[in-house]
Amino acid sequence: MKLLAIGGFTTALLLFVVVEWAARREGSRIPTFGDVCAYVMQYEVGPVPVGRIALFGFWWWMGWHFFAR
Amino acid sequence: MEQQPELSADVPRAWDRPIVSVPILTFLSLVGGQLPSFSPQANLYTIGTGGALVWLGLSNRMPRRTVPQRLGSGAVWWVLPVMIFGVFEAGTFMLGSRDDFPTFSKIADPLLDDSLIRSAVYFAWLSAFWGLVRR
Repeated sequence: MKLLAIGGFTTALLLFVVVEWAARREGSRIPTFGDVCAYVMQYEVGPVPVGRIALFGFWWWMGWHFFAR
Repeated sequence: MEQQPELSADVPRAWDRPIVSVPILTFLSLVGGQLPSFSPQANLYTIGTGGALVWLGLSNRMPRRTVPQRLGSGAVWWVLPVMIFGVFEAGTFMLGSRDDFPTFSKIADPLLDDSLIRSAVYFAWLSAFWGLVRR
């Protein structure tokens, strides 16, 4: 079971790398991960930048979760 | 009084070049990599560096890269790695993150005990954060 979990997470991380590589090829129709994040981050509700707050909050929490808690 | 519009630039400024940002991020990562988990210093440092970047990212002080107006149909490929990761994270979390079926963070924790690996991962976290601030 442990190997299954490690294998699943490794597969997901490798797929992140492969899709990003595919996105960076010339003429690719796949946006880069940075472009996807930028697209999400421009979502606003009225004057509130909900997309930016959500992604910053998630990434801030990730750092705290791995390095501090 | 007229509000300052959001800054947008594809041409990096002198201080925004890798030759400036990489050494700063490296220094911050090396410091962060020395702080052990669960310590007050690690909490303060992570909250402080992250908080500073959030403040920079939410204020309109930093020039931002051009945002794509729409995503092509190829964006659906990103669902695949996100879904696989999400399924395994949710599955391991719901089963209690046991030693024989651990969550991602439980697998990563022993690796992050090494200060060099910890600094390298810190660097990745801060670099990605800096990239988000510029978006």
